[in-house]
Parts: sequence; C-alpha cells; structure tokens
Amino acid sequence: MSADERMKGPWAVAAYAATGLAMLFILAPILVTLALSVSDSVFVTFPPKGFTLAWYGKVLSDQNFLGSLTTSLQIATAATGITVVLGVPAAYAIVRHPFPGSGICQEIVLSPLIFPVLITGLVLVKFFAGWGMQNAFPNMILAHALVTLPYVVRTVTASLLLADRSLDEAAMTLGYNPLLTFFRVTIPQIAPGLAAGALFAFMVSLDNFPISMWLIDARTVPVPIMLFQSMSRLFDPSIAAMSSVMIVIGTLAVLCLEKLVGLRRAMTM
Amino acid sequence: MTPPASTTAFLATAPSRRSLRDIVAGGAAPLLLLPAVLFVTILLIVPTLEMMVASVQTQDVTGTIGPPLTARHFVRLVDVPLYRDVLVATLRIAIVTAFLSALVGFPVAMVIARGHPVAARCVNVIIVMPLVVSIVVRAYGWQLILANGPNGVLNVIGSWLGLGRVSVRLLYSETAVVIGSLHVFLAMMVLPLASSLARIPRRLEEAAATLGASSLRIFWKVILPLSLPGLSVGLTLVFTLTASSFVLPVILGGNKSQMIGQLLEQQATAVFDWPFSAAIAIVMVSMIFGVNGLSLWFIKRQLSAGSIGVGP
Repeated sequence: MSADERMKGPWAVAAYAATGLAMLFILAPILVTLALSVSDSVFVTFPPKGFTLAWYGKVLSDQNFLGSLTTSLQIATAATGITVVLGVPAAYAIVRHPFPGSGICQEIVLSPLIFPVLITGLVLVKFFAGWGMQNAFPNMILAHALVTLPYVVRTVTASLLLADRSLDEAAMTLGYNPLLTFFRVTIPQIAPGLAAGALFAFMVSLDNFPISMWLIDARTVPVPIMLFQSMSRLFDPSIAAMSSVMIVIGTLAVLCLEKLVGLRRAMTM
Repeated sequence: MTPPASTTAFLATAPSRRSLRDIVAGGAAPLLLLPAVLFVTILLIVPTLEMMVASVQTQDVTGTIGPPLTARHFVRLVDVPLYRDVLVATLRIAIVTAFLSALVGFPVAMVIARGHPVAARCVNVIIVMPLVVSIVVRAYGWQLILANGPNGVLNVIGSWLGLGRVSVRLLYSETAVVIGSLHVFLAMMVLPLASSLARIPRRLEEAAATLGASSLRIFWKVILPLSLPGLSVGLTLVFTLTASSFVLPVILGGNKSQMIGQLLEQQATAVFDWPFSAAIAIVMVSMIFGVNGLSLWFIKRQLSAGSIGVGP
C-alpha cells in the first residue's frame, strides 16, 4: 500500500481514536489480570499493591495446577499429532487429486468447525457412553483431535494451493516416486503453513472448554476447567497468576505464528 | 521424414505412462481422504444423526429412549415460559453483540486495511493475540473489571472520579455477557471486514470525491456497500459464536441471565433428559445453520449482482 492510499483527514483521526479505545477494551482484562498476578495482597484488589512473584511461586509448585497443565499439554500434543496425520493426506488429496465426491469429503472434514463446540461435546459424551469408553484421557484426545482437524486441513489446503506443483512433477520426472516426492519436495514447500496449522490446533486444544467440560473425570482436568473450578473457590491472586501463565503461553504461540506465516495470512487461511 | 520407431514408441508410451501414474494417484486419493472422513463421520456425523432421532422420541422412567415419536420436546422449548425466555435472551444477546461488534469493529478494520502500516500491524497483533488466550482467562479478567463490590476495577476508577464507592453493578447481568462476548468475538468481525475493505479499489473513492461526494456520502455509498461481504461474514460469525457460547454466560451472566447453552448443559448433566437436550441442541444448530445459510445466500446474491469489486 502506497502512502497516498492510506486514509487521511478528520475521518482518519476519528478512526484511529476509535481504534485506540477498542484496543484498550481488548487489552483491559488481560492487563488487569497480569497486573493483579504480581499484587502483594491476600485478596484480589485493584489497584495492585506492591510487587511480588510469590503467587507465581505458589502456582508453579501447586500440584493441582501442574497436573492440569501436564494433562492439557499431553492432550494438545496427542490431538495435534492425530490431526496432522489425518489432515495432511486429506488436504493433499483435496488439492492435488480431486475426484467426484472430494468436495463433499472436504465439507465433512471441515464440518467440526461450523458445528457449535458445546454440541460436539454433548454428541461425543453420548457416543463414548454408548461404546462403553469410560477413560476420560483418550476420549478427550479423540474429541480434541476432532475439533482441531479443520484448522490443519484449512491451512495445509491453502499452502498446497500456493505451492509450485511443477516442482513435484519435475521430481517425479527425475525418478522420485510419489511418496519420496511428497516428503522431499511437497512437505518442505508447505512446511510453514503446516507448522502454523499444527500450532493453531495445539492452541485450540489447550484453550478448549466446551468439549472438555463434558468429558472430565477426577484425574483428567485440563487447565481451563481447573481455572473455572478454582474461580469460585480461590480469592487470592493465584488465579490471576495461573491465568497469566496461560496468557504467556498464548502470546508465545502468536509470536511463533507471526514468524512462521505472518498473522494476516494465518488468520485468513 | 518419419522418426525412428523407438522414438515413436517412446512418444506413444510417455503420455500413457503419465496418465497411468495419474490414475494410480487418482485412485489413491480417496484412500488419503478416507481416514479423516471416517474419523469425522464416526465421531460427529453419525452421533449427530442419532441425536436428531432421539429428539423426536420418548424417554421413559428407566431412561430408555424409543417410540412413540413426538414433537413435544420442541413444543416444550417454546411453550414453557422459562425456556422461551432463555431462547429470547439468547437471540437478544447474540444480536446486540453482533451489531456492537460491527460498530466497534469498523474503525478497527479500517485502520488494519487502510491505516499506517505500523499501526495496522500493531492493531492486528492486539486483535489476534486474545484468540489464543483461553476464554476462561478472559472472562476472569472481565470479572475483575466488572465486579460489583468496591474492589471491581470500574468501581475503583469510579470512586477516584468521585462517583461513590460502588457506582456500577454490571457483573452477573446480560450487559456483562454482551461485554464479554464482544471482547472474545470482536476479532471474528474485524478480520473478514478488514480483508473486504482492503479489496475496495481506492479509485472508486477518488472518483466519488472528484465528483463532489462528501466523506460521509462516500462511506454510505461506496465503502459500506462494498464491505458487505466481510460485514455479513463478521455478523454471522459473531452472532453464531455468541448464541452458542457457554463459558461467558456462566462466568459473567451468573444465574440471572441464562442462555441456551446453559440450559442444554443443565438438561443433559443434571436432569439427564436426553431427548429434550437433543431437541435443544437441534434448535441451536438449526439457528446457526439458518443464519449461516442466509448470510451465504446474501453474499452470493451480492456477488452475482456484480456489485462487488474483486481486486484492484
């Protein structure tokens, strides 16, 4: 965009001012949470008093929180793994070898995205009960893989559409078999998109509440649920500290996304 | 001069070898898609169909679900005042949030699409970053801000301004749910809207300005109509996400303002009324698909009318 295509004049000033307020609105709850997590008081009170990292110390030695964090990370990792294994070949088939019916297949694979997650959870809890699957941990991995699959399929599909197909053909002409071509030529081309999709899937799983809610048992409680349960029980800044840990993880993920593919692209893919 | 026999043979076989490979690859393609399709079908599609069947069946005292077929679960949802209120409140909250998001999101999207590159980049990061922060965490932040006691951030600021110890009581109300939903789903409005705005050719506005249109007129007659695809995608997303949210009404709405998601959760986990839960779920899904379909139809109509410029 050249400089003279930018907006100018009083309307631009108004737009910037309104945007500034909107940014304040977006950041306010996050900043308040971060500020109160270092507050040196027994109760959550605003404005924060003094400065202490004691709440982080408490939280990071709290077996309850660490257990939940481990559970969440394990579920997110396993779900992302399943998602990549299922999603990448599917996206490849959709883009490179469309066949009659592949459009419907694509719709099916992307359908968990438009389905309200709360209902996906309800449907799954009924499904697991019906098949006598009562182990919360693997159930939750399957459930999270289901809702994160579309993210990987979408980003990989978009990357494949942008990748140079003639390179694959050249590799095949030069004697690579399709499998070798896929791993040595196609995958390197779509790697940033694939990584972005996997990261997105990971974060969606890590933050998921409405699916996990239906599937928890006493030993399998992901962080968002654990936080929710603590909110009605704890009134000291330790919840703010736990929240801040999650905010930091999320921010790191966004920075990685920005590095990998650029945020605008990551969000529109 | 005719080419040597071996060359013709090569020329003849080369394409057929290619097409053979394509056939093999093409034949393998459904196999590549199969695992993903089966996964979603088994876990989501089939159980959803079963749920649809359950919603018109009867559950007896032992919990067994079966015939006779009945529509009474759906009738109950609109007939019982308590449930009807929940439906109406859900629609009201979702519609208000969607319109507010358009209002707040428009200038933000303008800055992303047309603003100074540095500003656009910053705004983009701030808009996207909260997306990877759990909704529970964000709702907790709003709880701290809106808290009804003298310790709520807004009340503290109010007392600094001399408005008394407790000037606002917003937590556990519909307003709090709208504020929280607006916060969580604003990005879903801004991102499609910004990409729609970025596609509007600058020349159109310049032409309008040259012909004497005021800024306001240019906005109404050029920018707004051409941003409609992004706007309607945004409205649809915010509406459907708000209408089907669960965490925000539970944490910010308290017991007073119930939404359909909470009703569903209660009926399924506390009352164990599976057919009624299924009926609620189906109403939720059809509401969402209905709005999606409407928006899709609207965008298609706009596109076929040729009123939307694609690309500069």
